[in-house]
Amino acid sequence: MRTFWRRYGLAYLFIAPALFGMLLVHYGPMVQGIYMSFLDLRLQTLRLYLQAPFVGLENYREILLNPESTFRAGFLYAVRTTLLYALAVNVLSLSLGLLVAHLLNRPLFLRGLWRSLFLLPWVVPSYVVGLLWGFMWLKEGVVNHLLADVLGLLSEKPHWLIGPLTFVAIVVPTVWRGWPFVMVTYLAALQTVPQELYEAAKVDGASPWQRFRHVTWPMLRPVTAVLLLYGLLGTLYSFNIVYMMFGTGRATPGSGGTFS
Amino acid sequence: MYEERWLRWGAGLLLFLILVFHLFPIFWMVNTSLMTQLEAATGSLFPRVPQWGNYLDIWRVLPFFHYLKNSFLVCSLTTVFALAVATFAGYALARFRFPGAELFGGSVLVTQVIPGILFLIPIYIMYIYVQNWARSALGLEVRLVGSYGGLVFTYTAFFVPLSIWILRGFFASIPKELEEAAMVDGATPFQAFYRVILPLALPGLAATAVYIFLTAWDELLFAQVLTNEATATIPVGIRNFVGNYQNRYDLVMAAATVATLPVLVLFFFVQRQLIQGLTAGAVKG
Repeated sequence: MRTFWRRYGLAYLFIAPALFGMLLVHYGPMVQGIYMSFLDLRLQTLRLYLQAPFVGLENYREILLNPESTFRAGFLYAVRTTLLYALAVNVLSLSLGLLVAHLLNRPLFLRGLWRSLFLLPWVVPSYVVGLLWGFMWLKEGVVNHLLADVLGLLSEKPHWLIGPLTFVAIVVPTVWRGWPFVMVTYLAALQTVPQELYEAAKVDGASPWQRFRHVTWPMLRPVTAVLLLYGLLGTLYSFNIVYMMFGTGRATPGSGGTFS
Repeated sequence: MYEERWLRWGAGLLLFLILVFHLFPIFWMVNTSLMTQLEAATGSLFPRVPQWGNYLDIWRVLPFFHYLKNSFLVCSLTTVFALAVATFAGYALARFRFPGAELFGGSVLVTQVIPGILFLIPIYIMYIYVQNWARSALGLEVRLVGSYGGLVFTYTAFFVPLSIWILRGFFASIPKELEEAAMVDGATPFQAFYRVILPLALPGLAATAVYIFLTAWDELLFAQVLTNEATATIPVGIRNFVGNYQNRYDLVMAAATVATLPVLVLFFFVQRQLIQGLTAGAVKG
């Protein structure tokens, strides 16, 4: 036992504070949260906390199976919207990030500056992103002004913050803030691809597309998997942008907006 | 790879166009922050006369200085604590072999997969319980909800896991021989860490510190629940303001600009290390 502590004591001492915090703020509450999902915990029984009446899977039945439940309708609708949102945001972010990373991965005047400028929106706090776009999407806002009055692409100005277009209104700002990080990561990955591989492919007569498909892409696949994981976690659990854009607690996407 | 001249110019032009569209919202935020209330509400393109006074008004109309101070206080303390905790754990993961190392490393990652909303309510109720228990059993006034302490503690625990992972990468990139040489010269393992490795890891520590600060600065969900009037941070304050003054876009955008500025400045200081630290995990797989 003494040799055990002499050997590993320092290691355990080093991880102890982190472990303490994780147990207290992540795992403890997580277990409580899961346990609470089996309780009849409502405003009247909140005082009982974990001693509230145990109802087994009743809550799950309510939100998944009970066809009359308003919770179920709201929950399933939210799940569907969230999945579509995550899909749309990640497909767009990854594509745009990959494209611009390619454009930047070449001799370019002041390349570092270009990269920094592209990264700027990624540094803007997400609550600011929600506020800012909520303002830009207004019916008389700058987006409609540019689309309808300046570019003439739309004959009349749509409501971006009411109805089906709200989906666009939450996807675009999320992509705007998210894709720069994808781009920078792809750029870093592209720089690890050995140039000789391209030379060899060119000697063998491979077209640019074939070079991308058979040289670049296999090298980017692991990075893409990690980026997709980050992206899915970020979008499935995202909160700030939508919360700031819609309502002061009164409205949800589809029923109005902060500034409407 | 791209030999043709026109292709290079074409790519440059395309990049430039994307960049213009990409940065437009930021320009628009600053632009609007200089408009009068009427100009902002009616969709004018430019302020006729830049209203620099808006940046003074936000200190008066909403107690922005108060929020700014709270945000700085909470985020700085969180950064210091989380960085300290994560430095030790990240070093242990990078260098020490000990039973349970894999389990610990794995559980660090798993925390990132748990949605915050799953433990928001339990944390809130738990904090209330601790407060009540401390009052009745120990006779102590411990404030976890509505105090700086509760928020800083929660944030510290939040941002430790990913910081551990970033720092582990930085420590792993420092040659092991340096500690071995120090220990041959008679240093204890702790001294080797403290005197030899820590100074070398400073750029990585700085980048991680900025990462923690940026993330804490951006946190709204838990701040909303765990703060009160006195301890509200910027996002909570701005949100309350938007709820009360729906048509003051000029002031909201001025506040948004001021809220963005500190993190922007910090970011530019450690940009290279931060990007390196955050992308390394993905690029190396």
